[in-house]
Amino acid sequence: METYQIYILTSAVLFVIGMGGVFMARHFIKKIIATIIMGGGVFLCFVSFAQRDALTFADPVPHALVITGIVVAVASAAFALALARRIYQLTGEESFTNDK
Amino acid sequence: MSVLIDLLLAILTVYLALQCLLAQRLSQSVFLFFAFGLALALAWVRLGAVDVAITEAAIAAGFMGVLFLDALRDFSPAVSENQEDLKAVQNPPSKNATKSLLLPRLALGLGLGLFLLIALEAVWKTPDGGGLTAAAVALLPESGVEHPVTAVLLNFRAYDTWLEIGVILLGLLAIYAAGGINLYRKPGVAAKDPLLRQVILFSTPVLFLFGAFLLYFGKTGPGGAFQAAVLWGAIGIMLHLGGWPVFAVLPRWLGQLILTLGLGFFLVLGFLFMARGDALFEYPPAYAGILILIVETLAAISIAAALTTIYANINQMQEEPKQNESTT
Amino acid sequence: MTDLPTSPFPALLVGLPILVATLSLFFRPRGKAVVGLMGCLLTGGLGLIALVEVMQQGTVIHILGGWDPPLGILLRMDSLAAVFIGMTAVVGVFISLYAWWFFRAREATNGGFPLFWPLWLFLWAGLNGLFLSNDLFNLFVTIEVIGMSAVALAVLSGKTAAQIAGLRYLLAAITGSMAYLFGVALIYGSTGTLDLGLLRQVLEPGATTTFALLVITLGLMIKMAGFPFHFWLPPAHSSALAPVSALLSALVVKGAFYILLRLWMEVFGVSITFSAGQLIGLAGAIAVIWGSWQAFMQTSLKLIVAHSSVAQLGYLLMIFPLLILAPGVAAGSADWLSPAWTAGVYQVMAHAFAKASFFLSAGIIIMALGHDHKGSLRDLASRMPMTVMAIGIAGVSLIGLPPSGGFFAKWMLLKGIFLSGQWWWAPVVLAGSFLTAGYVFMLLRLAFATAREKEPFRPVPKGLEVCALLLALGSFLIVLPAEYLIQFLESSEAFGSGIQSIMEGGTYGND
Repeated sequence: METYQIYILTSAVLFVIGMGGVFMARHFIKKIIATIIMGGGVFLCFVSFAQRDALTFADPVPHALVITGIVVAVASAAFALALARRIYQLTGEESFTNDK
Repeated sequence: MSVLIDLLLAILTVYLALQCLLAQRLSQSVFLFFAFGLALALAWVRLGAVDVAITEAAIAAGFMGVLFLDALRDFSPAVSENQEDLKAVQNPPSKNATKSLLLPRLALGLGLGLFLLIALEAVWKTPDGGGLTAAAVALLPESGVEHPVTAVLLNFRAYDTWLEIGVILLGLLAIYAAGGINLYRKPGVAAKDPLLRQVILFSTPVLFLFGAFLLYFGKTGPGGAFQAAVLWGAIGIMLHLGGWPVFAVLPRWLGQLILTLGLGFFLVLGFLFMARGDALFEYPPAYAGILILIVETLAAISIAAALTTIYANINQMQEEPKQNESTT
Repeated sequence: MTDLPTSPFPALLVGLPILVATLSLFFRPRGKAVVGLMGCLLTGGLGLIALVEVMQQGTVIHILGGWDPPLGILLRMDSLAAVFIGMTAVVGVFISLYAWWFFRAREATNGGFPLFWPLWLFLWAGLNGLFLSNDLFNLFVTIEVIGMSAVALAVLSGKTAAQIAGLRYLLAAITGSMAYLFGVALIYGSTGTLDLGLLRQVLEPGATTTFALLVITLGLMIKMAGFPFHFWLPPAHSSALAPVSALLSALVVKGAFYILLRLWMEVFGVSITFSAGQLIGLAGAIAVIWGSWQAFMQTSLKLIVAHSSVAQLGYLLMIFPLLILAPGVAAGSADWLSPAWTAGVYQVMAHAFAKASFFLSAGIIIMALGHDHKGSLRDLASRMPMTVMAIGIAGVSLIGLPPSGGFFAKWMLLKGIFLSGQWWWAPVVLAGSFLTAGYVFMLLRLAFATAREKEPFRPVPKGLEVCALLLALGSFLIVLPAEYLIQFLESSEAFGSGIQSIMEGGTYGND
């Protein structure tokens, strides 16, 4: 088994864990963490592909995409966190009451 | 041997992710989240992606972790009250769990399991070659930088990177919108702890130099605007914590200028070259190196300022008095 | 690919709104609104000029940074992109003008929401970027720009309900874009390219491609509130400020649909099966019936309109099964594809105009009466004839009565349904129209009924009513250039490659 294959399988597992977490976790913070775990899986998938055919260096394109992706994901997670805290302040609720 | 390390690391990452979501207490979740981020960063070092590892450790685990830690101040007391409730959700067979909740959850769980199997098959069957390494190698000399990741970020796919700097600014605006607060409110002052202030004073220049180092050497090796920005952003956050809210002392227009400089200069430079007849973000190869360094530096300053301001705003949400519902 | 004419418009369409948004941050609230409005007018004008340019020159491109794909990113403006950009320009300008008067009127009470302008300009840039993008990862960045600015706009009112709805919307949006990105990662892994044009040539069917298509479609379905992922839409759209509701339902949800249409027609021809198409069609059909029924049951005007969006988006999903023939049916000609394709684009435009007008009218009523319970509509016809007319006209287009744009879209949809031999979708289209007629006429009946007691009534700036009425008329006017527009749209690359896939045989309609 090649190194990248281990991580590529891990990436699928992380993605599914994160996806399950978004739907099943109740607390706002846990839902937000779940989206980041989901993102971690996706980025791991990209980077594993990059390592596959490394010449003198690994494929730089996925690396750059992942750096962009991490920053974008963090920006939206920070926004979600701000909203969650605001809702908690206004209502004292920390999860959606009528869960879908 | 090395395969064993990778296997262990993979299992650890998955374990931490699961525990993070299943933990009973919110504080446990947040600490496990830190650990998860670091495990992921290690995985990226193993995969030869040092740039990504630094970004992950700094932004995803570091910055986001700090925001979550800060959020604990808000949420933690209420979580212990809700402990019973949380347990009931995580162990459906307990007497609190109603049948109506169990069934959809079971279906969802089964669906996710099936989804995982298909996903595993899909990733397993990907071919073992075929990226853009060769193309990047061929064009690297024309890009003006020596480090391939920097070349992709700031030259080949500069458009994505520019939009991403926009996303950070947008995130800040969105947080203003969420807080329903004035755009130019001055950040408050945190408690003054003399020891903390000494530590901060000591580490500020160190962090600054390290950030500058990462920025400058991003041309030839791992590092670059985003990594430097987080270190500089950390300075801003620490100064804020130590009772020196940097952006409160600056005049308003200067604060705005620092926040928008990276995005604006990147774009205006692009438009200038476009007016000459080139494409947007097309740099003449002779000047590409120096132009990229300027763009990167300004971007790093702006991102650092944005991260500091995002932290300061979220940090203050707690202190802010409940606003009366504005009528629409 | 690269021999197409180059044009600076694609770059300007994305760059300019963001430049103005950045500039507007330096101004005080009043100045922000002025600069913002100017920026909106400028962007709208630019969009229309670009549309004319494409009509004259055909597809134009802009190679960003001068690097050809696969390494670089290409902006491509073909007829499909141009039509969407033109639609965004027209609807966007009217909503901006409305927003200007709307916020001016309430400036005294709550500061006039100056953040609306930079956020809306970012949203506009994101939409233009999405329509122009020809790169899978760049599409991800643009949908993130759209998603974040859309949620930020949705929570701008500061009301608790809006913020809870906004968080739900944001979590759905992040989940959707991450699912999309996972598919992109797999495609990059198996082909080594992100450029749509190159992908079409190198993508091969297989387990990985199928799964990538599955997660991408899933992610985009979440983003466009396709059934069963519609849960976030009604609360988010109904609790936002009126101009924002109009933006969200008229333009934002269409972004995800646009990507889905592009990818299905242009890229994934090789790996779509008949049953996948049927499944999406089923989701659309359920959305049409369920959404219309829910709309009928609501008591507040904005919730009626928001649930109606779920139904109208269902029609958009129903064109996907029509793109694929049943196994065993030979594709002699591509007759049926053209109506299905036209139906999709026309449904997008008709819904954008009609729904924007509907939400703007709801905003006017709230402003005049202070609330939007449907009972308050009594006797509105005598006090606000122009607004009632706008609701009536927009409603007729939503139902799909001739000669509206909505009628044209549904007519084409039915034509596509029968030509492709998938007659089982036809009753859904008709039932949806009947249910829509139910709630639209209920509203109109109330508006013309006499009131038992006079409610307090505040005067509303005339400009608001004019904007809503003009948008409603727009949903009729789009039918006039139909013949020309159909031809123009068929010159688009997406349509061309769809046809080509069918003619090559075995790619569409295999199971």
